[in-house]
Amino acid sequence: MRHQSVGYHIKKSLIYLFLIALAVTCMIPFMMMMVNATRDGNEILTGFSLIPSVHLKENWDTVFSYFNLFLGMRNSVLVAIPATLLSAYFSTLTAYGLAFYQFKGNKVIFIVILVFMMIPGQLSLIGFYQLCSKLKLVNSYIPLIVPAIAAPGTVFFLRQYILSTLPKSLVEAARMDGANELFSFHRIVIPIVSPAVATMGIMGFIGNWNNYMLPMILINKNEKMTLPVMMATLRASQDITRNQGATYLSVAISVIPILLVFAVFSKYIISSVSAGAVKE
Amino acid sequence: MKMKKLVSLFLAGAMTLSLAACGDNAGSASNTSTSTSKAPAASVEETKSDDVVAKALANGDKLVIWTLAKDLQKFADRYTEKTGVPTEVVIIEPADYPTKLQTAIVGGEKEPDIVVGEPQMLPDFFNNGFFTDLDALGASNYEGQIVDYVWEVGKDANGTTRAISYQITPAGFYYRRDIAQKVFGSDDPEKVKDIFSSYDKILEAGRKLKENGYRIFASDSELNYFSGDSAWVVDGKLNVDQARFDYMDMVVKLYQEDLTAYAAQWSTPWYQAMSGAVPVLTADLQWGDWGTDADGNTNLNIWDADNFNANAGKYTDTYAEVFAFGLPAWGVLTLRDNVKDTAGKWGVCQGPAYGFGGGTFIGISELSEKKELGWDFIKFCTLNEETADWWIEVSEGDTVSLLSALEKHKDDENAVYGGEKLYAMWLDLAKGIDYSKVTKYDTEIGNAWGNAISKIKTGEATKEDALKEFYDTVESTFAGEIIVER
Repeated sequence: MRHQSVGYHIKKSLIYLFLIALAVTCMIPFMMMMVNATRDGNEILTGFSLIPSVHLKENWDTVFSYFNLFLGMRNSVLVAIPATLLSAYFSTLTAYGLAFYQFKGNKVIFIVILVFMMIPGQLSLIGFYQLCSKLKLVNSYIPLIVPAIAAPGTVFFLRQYILSTLPKSLVEAARMDGANELFSFHRIVIPIVSPAVATMGIMGFIGNWNNYMLPMILINKNEKMTLPVMMATLRASQDITRNQGATYLSVAISVIPILLVFAVFSKYIISSVSAGAVKE
Repeated sequence: MKMKKLVSLFLAGAMTLSLAACGDNAGSASNTSTSTSKAPAASVEETKSDDVVAKALANGDKLVIWTLAKDLQKFADRYTEKTGVPTEVVIIEPADYPTKLQTAIVGGEKEPDIVVGEPQMLPDFFNNGFFTDLDALGASNYEGQIVDYVWEVGKDANGTTRAISYQITPAGFYYRRDIAQKVFGSDDPEKVKDIFSSYDKILEAGRKLKENGYRIFASDSELNYFSGDSAWVVDGKLNVDQARFDYMDMVVKLYQEDLTAYAAQWSTPWYQAMSGAVPVLTADLQWGDWGTDADGNTNLNIWDADNFNANAGKYTDTYAEVFAFGLPAWGVLTLRDNVKDTAGKWGVCQGPAYGFGGGTFIGISELSEKKELGWDFIKFCTLNEETADWWIEVSEGDTVSLLSALEKHKDDENAVYGGEKLYAMWLDLAKGIDYSKVTKYDTEIGNAWGNAISKIKTGEATKEDALKEFYDTVESTFAGEIIVER
């Protein structure tokens, strides 16, 4: 008995050591980002330390001499949150429709969606700009938000998830009790697939938050630019080394919303894993 | 049945839409044709600057500037301060600037008035008609007031001026005066330039410096800006001048005789070499794969300052100071920020060939509705002596393109460079640049040539194989455009 417990302790401490090493490996880039946010360009280029330096204020001033960080953050929130919500809701609706209703052309639509997953969006940039310009939507967030409704990748993922987890009988029971289709979707389907929606929602939020290409092309007003576009302007200086610290600072601040979203929604993912385990 | 109806409805809708689009196109096309016929063709009568500004103020016009260099914002602020015309500056990351501009202008965007470009972007911008004809606005009246090569870069294939830059960027060698004094007996730029006057002399100097415990360059890329004084393409044929081969041989020798510190350009030791001794790596060390130690950390990474400083000592015990760097005129600022204790010990002199790198060129968008105001702004930035004086002071050492301003500042001394009169020298170097030797193929052919050189110097390929690959690359990249004769 005692013997076993010694072996158990050794094993356990080894595992802990391994996990601590992993955690440190994961944390160090973050630490470096935070520390570098307080150092100036020459320090970053020529040396390294984990001890914060004294240039935080300087970097802060550099960032704000280029753009208003908080304005950029607000703009990014205005784009990323509606885009994520719309994409999550409509993708679930589409996926549910494709998975549960049998109608002519169901397969064709699904294949079309698969095909669209493979076309890179950059191909149609000029056409898209012309479209937006004809519709007077340049400098507006609508072309950044509304197209998010059509997210082939999310639809594909959710369709597979619904097929594998949602029992047909549940929806049929609701129908028998007189619920209409949309009601049963809201009250029965969404709660069951919420883990998958949360997963895709987090991914979608990160994607929208970091989206650079489309806002860069479509937004021509400084005060409407989203955060990544603003941050890129730090590289438009003749002497880039000076802006290294400022870049680290703005990146460090810009990941905060992503961390928040992740902290809030990751518990839905975890709860789903256990829920599935009990059911099986 | 229902499906058919839907489809036909959709098709009808699509047709109407496309018809509408056609109509609009035709309208805009006729618009542009009338406006060009109105523009004065050869007679260049300019509206007076004051009138243009007064009109803009009366109309409440705002000048919209899309730039890839933050510097232009300072010019815009200054313009607003002087004239009262409001400006809006949108800064776009340089790497994405061509995409942004192309999408917007092809998409019919009228918003930007002032657009800019770096030399390598300009030919495409000009060919696609993004930049308007500045001669029609009066640019030809100012011929001869700007440094020649800058004026040439701003012209399209037909000789029409479409962009002007406020700065010049001729390349020279930045060298340590104290080392020059010790090894070569003189630190005078006029004497030191002899050391850099040919590839053979550079090699010779490199050997002498090595004997004395120094290294001539930190990297072997320092000669990039001086890599051959001939055009890559002449009359549609690939032209590999003898000087190109000489350059190749010299780089290979620099490398194989350990004459440089083997630091890669823009890497940590490269910057450190500006302020003092750096560990001298060996040829193998620079690009080698050092694997990882027991904890999974990379053993040596030259791009990572902390790693490099901690680990370089394990691989080399030679430390040496570096003699020179080859950079364009904006290197004045790079060195100023990195030389630390060696400030004042530097000098600048001419290289074995004339070259230049970078520069922001300002033009007016073809779709702009405020072209006269735009032209007034360009004149303000590039042709106004007062602005040039102001910029020399504000930028702390950038080199302007306006000849009269350079003339005026030719006796300015720069303390970091031992009181050298830099403006006079840059002007001299700029005069030697022959822009007709620049072709739009330069970047890609230059890269292919660089690849061939690095393969030869590291022994990865024989000279013969590397050259064959170079010719193959050029032939396949520009099939139908360039004839390759081997």
